[in-house]
Amino acid sequence: MKKKVATIILNRNLPKVTDKLYNQIKKYNKNETDIFIVDAGSIKKNISKYSTWIADWKQAKKKGLRFGRGMNFGLSKLYEENRFYDYEYFFLITNDTIIKNKPIIKDFCKIMEKHNYLAILSPCSKKWGEKNLLQKNKIKYFWYIHNNAYFLRRSFLDKIKNIKKPGYRNFLFDGKNFRGYGIVSEIILKAYKLNMAAAITSKIWVEENENYLLKMSNLIKTEPYNQNLILYLREGITWMKKKYKFQSKWDFSMHIKKFYDKFFQKNKELLKYKL
Amino acid sequence: MSKFLKNLIKKNKTALGIGPMSLNCVKAAISLSNKYSFPLMLIASRRQIDSKENGGGYVNNWNTESYSKFVKKFDKKKKIIMSRDHGGPWQNNLEISKKFNLKEAMASAKRSYEIDILNDFKIIHIDTSIDINNKKVPIKKSLERFFELFEHCNNFAKKNNKKIFFEIGTEEQSGTTNNPDELKETLDNVYNFCKKKKFQKPIFVVIQSGTRVAETRNVGSFESPLRIENELPVEIQLPKMIEICNDYKIFMKEHNADYLSNHSLSLHPRLGIHATNVAPEFGVGETKGLIDVLKKYKLSKYLDEFYEISYKSKKWKKWLVPDSKATKIEKAVISGHYVFSTEDFLILKEQIKSYLIKKNFNLDTYLEKQIQKSILRYAKNFNLTK
Repeated sequence: MKKKVATIILNRNLPKVTDKLYNQIKKYNKNETDIFIVDAGSIKKNISKYSTWIADWKQAKKKGLRFGRGMNFGLSKLYEENRFYDYEYFFLITNDTIIKNKPIIKDFCKIMEKHNYLAILSPCSKKWGEKNLLQKNKIKYFWYIHNNAYFLRRSFLDKIKNIKKPGYRNFLFDGKNFRGYGIVSEIILKAYKLNMAAAITSKIWVEENENYLLKMSNLIKTEPYNQNLILYLREGITWMKKKYKFQSKWDFSMHIKKFYDKFFQKNKELLKYKL
Repeated sequence: MSKFLKNLIKKNKTALGIGPMSLNCVKAAISLSNKYSFPLMLIASRRQIDSKENGGGYVNNWNTESYSKFVKKFDKKKKIIMSRDHGGPWQNNLEISKKFNLKEAMASAKRSYEIDILNDFKIIHIDTSIDINNKKVPIKKSLERFFELFEHCNNFAKKNNKKIFFEIGTEEQSGTTNNPDELKETLDNVYNFCKKKKFQKPIFVVIQSGTRVAETRNVGSFESPLRIENELPVEIQLPKMIEICNDYKIFMKEHNADYLSNHSLSLHPRLGIHATNVAPEFGVGETKGLIDVLKKYKLSKYLDEFYEISYKSKKWKKWLVPDSKATKIEKAVISGHYVFSTEDFLILKEQIKSYLIKKNFNLDTYLEKQIQKSILRYAKNFNLTK
């Protein structure tokens, strides 16, 4: 049976965690999604037994791929293998994502089918302030989303994908920004520019298990949490200055909000989803 | 909009509130506002300056009455707007140390406000969000207390022919103004009360905007990508809350903008932040100025003595981040301005000044200039000097 969704899980040196998430998604969503695992330069013994593609070049082994490059790698592989157009949606998640034991993929699809304008859908977290905005109305459109799990519409990706030299550096996210501060905002900006939208829903909950980053950076073979955060911010700001001449996240965020407001001016029937 | 508000809140500018951290700080604020002709709110907390009856405060051994006289005397161009910051029950140490119950604390807060009003404080911030243990008060109770104080101040001002304005809300997690729904609910409640009692609506509402001061830096999310548990990302929170304030025709006030970068400050007018409070940065700035002078003139004995007085005050405690690695000296820098009016420091300062005057160096003039530079950074970024 042809499945609508490709789920891509990003792993680096946490095979048990990744395998558990793989099995959990498979158990509750097997008719809805194919599952692919991108291995971001893990050492041999830490490669997930379900790995689909392995980033085994020197740089990836040394530093990993991070969210942007990792997902680019997986998506570009699907494209290369002529499987990109087999799917209507892509669910991109990191291995430290905690999901519920239920058919969440079906729920995602239902929402995307109902909301034709949606390019990007993020599940909500019980730890986020956004949950308070999603009580009466369980879905709202946002100009800023910060998560490690996104459900994306293929027709949107099709419009913004980079196929000149498709690969881990550029297929969807801008891989020049290695740690990725601001790269999802850039995708959201592209969505609103295309008269599409980005939303968060409280119909589906996910959590991030930050313990892996906080306490197991040695095992993952990445920088300690605080050091990573400094680099993440520094690289991101440098990237947005160079690419967009933005001086800070605020310039970026307010720029996206302009397009967000325009989107609702054009699509007044969707105003109930506006923040 | 009244003439007073038109003067204070202007398009493409962010109005500035300065904590009166010391005598030099107050002088610096007055000098600058007079020199550049822009209005400046001096936002005194009750711990800094309270009524004589309530024991004054830690700043310059002033009480509300003597402080007001001082400001009025030096503010030749009448640019200073004396304001009460975080007035309300248990916002003064006396009400806590004497273990006032609710009735006593409310009565004490009312008396404190009365003295403010009689001494020409113009903007009154009513903060009923905490109890005696500095714990969050449930919203319903907090609002009940707010209405009682709001009504009392309104009636007292009217009786004494004084025109005052109000500020509501708090930057801490209080359940009143922390997310869009809470803010709307609070404003609806307050506006209904105003309509019923025929009171003028408050002019400012304090909104958490991702700023928080700890040690000597801003650790909030305004400049960082960090998520704070159960809070909206500031990228969503701030524009949304400003939108609501504009809809409700109330001005948004940010607290704790201390130590933000020039770029972040320059964004304030563009983001539509109507007003901002800054305080500890100026106190710490004065302390650092003093330390620089003592180092320059190799007065290490005096410097050590200052560190000791400040460190022993323990006033740095509330400013530390969890698991702080701050050294003893860094802690002394954090709490320096709290001891500027203590007997021990005043004796020490006299010795320092006597030495420096022989070197033709006026310590207070230098310190005041240092604070002026700090204030000017805000004034310029907020477009107040144009």
